[in-house]
Amino acid sequence: MRSFTSSSESRGEPIATRPGFVRQTAADRPGIAQPVPERDIPERPWGSIWIGAVLLAVLLTGAWEWHWRAFGVTPSYRNSNGQWAQQRRRIDDGEGDALVLIGSSRTLFDMQLPAWKKVTGEQPIQLSLEGTSALPALQDLAADRKFHGRLLVGVTTSLFFTGFAYRGDAIRDWRKRTPTKRIGTWLSMHFIEPYFAFDDPDYALETVLARQPWWPVRAGTHPHVSVRKLSLSDYDRNTHMWPKVVTDAAYRALARSIWAQQWRDPPPPMLDTPAKRQALADQQIDLAVKAVKELRAHGARVIFVRQPVIGPYRAFEDQTEPVVTTWDVLLKRTGAPGLVFSDYPELRDFKPPEWSHLSHADAIRYTTLIAPMVERLFAQEPARLAASKDLKLR
Amino acid sequence: MVFNSLAFLAFFALVLGLHAMPFNWRTRKINLLVASYLFYMAWNPPFVILLWISTVVDWFAAQQLVHAERKASRRAWMLLSVVANLGMLGYFKYGHFLLQNFSDVVSVYGVHYVPPKWGIVLPVGISFYTFATLSYTLDVYLRRALPARKFLDYALFVTFFPHLVAGPIMRPTELVPQFEQERRATRRQLQFGLVLVLLGLFQKVVLADTFLSKAAEAVYDTRHAVGALDAWIGTLAFSGQIFCDFAGYSTIAIGVAMCLGFAMPDNFRFPYAAVGFSDFWRRWHITLSSWLRDYLYIPLGGNRHGRARTYLALMGTMLLGGLWHGANWTFVAWGGLHGLYLSIERSLRGRFAGYRPGPMALFALGMLTWMLVNVTWVFFRAKTFDKAWQVLTAMFGAHAGAKPILSTMLIAATLSIVAGIVAAHWWMRRRTLESVLLRVPAVALSMGMGLMAFLIVIAQGNGNAFIYFQF
Repeated sequence: MRSFTSSSESRGEPIATRPGFVRQTAADRPGIAQPVPERDIPERPWGSIWIGAVLLAVLLTGAWEWHWRAFGVTPSYRNSNGQWAQQRRRIDDGEGDALVLIGSSRTLFDMQLPAWKKVTGEQPIQLSLEGTSALPALQDLAADRKFHGRLLVGVTTSLFFTGFAYRGDAIRDWRKRTPTKRIGTWLSMHFIEPYFAFDDPDYALETVLARQPWWPVRAGTHPHVSVRKLSLSDYDRNTHMWPKVVTDAAYRALARSIWAQQWRDPPPPMLDTPAKRQALADQQIDLAVKAVKELRAHGARVIFVRQPVIGPYRAFEDQTEPVVTTWDVLLKRTGAPGLVFSDYPELRDFKPPEWSHLSHADAIRYTTLIAPMVERLFAQEPARLAASKDLKLR
Repeated sequence: MVFNSLAFLAFFALVLGLHAMPFNWRTRKINLLVASYLFYMAWNPPFVILLWISTVVDWFAAQQLVHAERKASRRAWMLLSVVANLGMLGYFKYGHFLLQNFSDVVSVYGVHYVPPKWGIVLPVGISFYTFATLSYTLDVYLRRALPARKFLDYALFVTFFPHLVAGPIMRPTELVPQFEQERRATRRQLQFGLVLVLLGLFQKVVLADTFLSKAAEAVYDTRHAVGALDAWIGTLAFSGQIFCDFAGYSTIAIGVAMCLGFAMPDNFRFPYAAVGFSDFWRRWHITLSSWLRDYLYIPLGGNRHGRARTYLALMGTMLLGGLWHGANWTFVAWGGLHGLYLSIERSLRGRFAGYRPGPMALFALGMLTWMLVNVTWVFFRAKTFDKAWQVLTAMFGAHAGAKPILSTMLIAATLSIVAGIVAAHWWMRRRTLESVLLRVPAVALSMGMGLMAFLIVIAQGNGNAFIYFQF
């Protein structure tokens, strides 16, 4: 190989005064073997420049962190796809007989894993995803023969029966996570997330800028306000409501106004008539029936649960997904037991601060009450299924 | 492993530490080679086998062809390298595309053929390292260079992690000599290398991912028709995004290599200040355009066989250059448009040979070039011709009643950043970054770098892959 000498630091002519294109590239040398590239290093006090830059960056980042802590934010684990994948892998790694929770944010916030463990001795695997129907996770587990445990399926009717899956990519991609992504998740969960409050998608630069009130609303657009931070997560995805939602009335009102967009704004075209909604719900039920059948085939047991919801949110869900044509049909066709908070006097009086999720204290109380009920239903399940088979045979 | 990830940060710190240890030069090179393989395997470990195949085949072919005396033998060894490399590239990158097009063609003649499901993942960076290794055997074949003396130096040239997956596409004569002699980064190289890494990260994480990608995605990923303003903003956003994404990557790669004591070539030279398309291609993705020129355009005849052959060579080079970017006819259209622009420019240059534009005319021609380049980006970004046509017609007045989709913030961010990029390119048109940094007060540099680092941190980029990884 021809040898050329690199002249990155020893050029005769100062770089500021070189005429024309001050550094030649392959574009200037057609049809020849390209020489070792030149790289100039400007003669500057880079050491002190770096010290100043690092100091400023640390100062600004510190101020940013202080700002969000003053707002009430505390460090918490990111509810990331990587964290979800980490929990999902537990089933493949020998915990196929575990109790697994799937559903949307209500199951994520309202089921407190340590409280469950305290009552039953077993800590469930939390695989619920906010804004996401339980169906994709149900199908994912149905396709996994390693899973033969118990499955609690949280049903938020406005999500489950419309098939909405805000975090569907977490389920789609968990097996495809590259070693880099897994290392990145591990590093982030050990060195960043437990220490920095600002490291939260709700306080990312673009998100913060976009929600500033000074931006005029462009004519013809209907800005949809995204859901704000509502929760804090632990290493194992045990998640509870952020105390600010309970203690700060203005923030709570904001959270409620964001939910209210669902019934104030016009529905998307695929949901704009009751007939369309019902057709979509029937489709989801068909898929759920198939998935439950597959799960039972590899020994898993399934129950469906509806967590507390109150006020206009409940009215909206009762109206758009009527129980008789959705929930009741789901239970009947899957043959799985169902548990609805409003059917039990001890569960019906919970008051979610923003209508949809329980406060941390209430979630602990609720979990303590519901865990034995759920375990009882699971325990009765084999006998119930056998009885139902007998009935069919007769 | 993407540069804008925590995993890379940890990896790079370890590599830097290891490279600074008082081992002998051979051991330090082996460390770099192993690190580079780990860097590659962090995506999909089995694909490292392809890298090994490419490395071994080209090493062997070059060794053989330099000793071959007969012309036919030399050609045979060269062809072995070309077929092996392009064969792998063709199978992994264009296999499904070819079958799909075959199916479409035979269906015209009434034959119903359904291509098998193609579940093959594209090995990251295959287009880049294929071109790098090919240039090795081709340079030896064309007697431009002798083969590397040591396999380790050659293997490290192919695999060296800063350029492995998205360039700059290195030539062996640029890198192998650097591995032949012991080198250790000086303190100044380390310090300035880190400045380049910071600048590249700012371009990628803050400008491309945080501010520009959203508008481009909103316009190009919607199924609905968009209006003129949205179409223009979406396209301008993509124009800024792809520059910041790719130039950012190249800047980081150059900085990383510099921290280790190695020099890599410029890949961009302020392309949005180009006047004309030959100027654009001397400023945009320089290592690809010069590769295509040296190993495709010139062997196809270049400008040595008359006008018609020159235009054919130009068009062929640009069409293949388009296809290199991805197995989709939209990329071919993108390359074809550039080929057409270059041909028209060549014809006009012939007709107006004595014309020397004044400053205003130069700027106007530059703006015209930039606007026409933006038109080509529509085909580059759109996934289908239907979408490209929808956006393109919208840019020129169609779909006037379409519902607006972009927010004021996205419009303002796109316009200000893209205007800033174009202005900066014009100001830097005949300068280098280094020559400008010589004149900026140290305090301003400190503050600028501190602010960039802060914005990178609070942008909370989630390790989005670089656009060029998919090629």
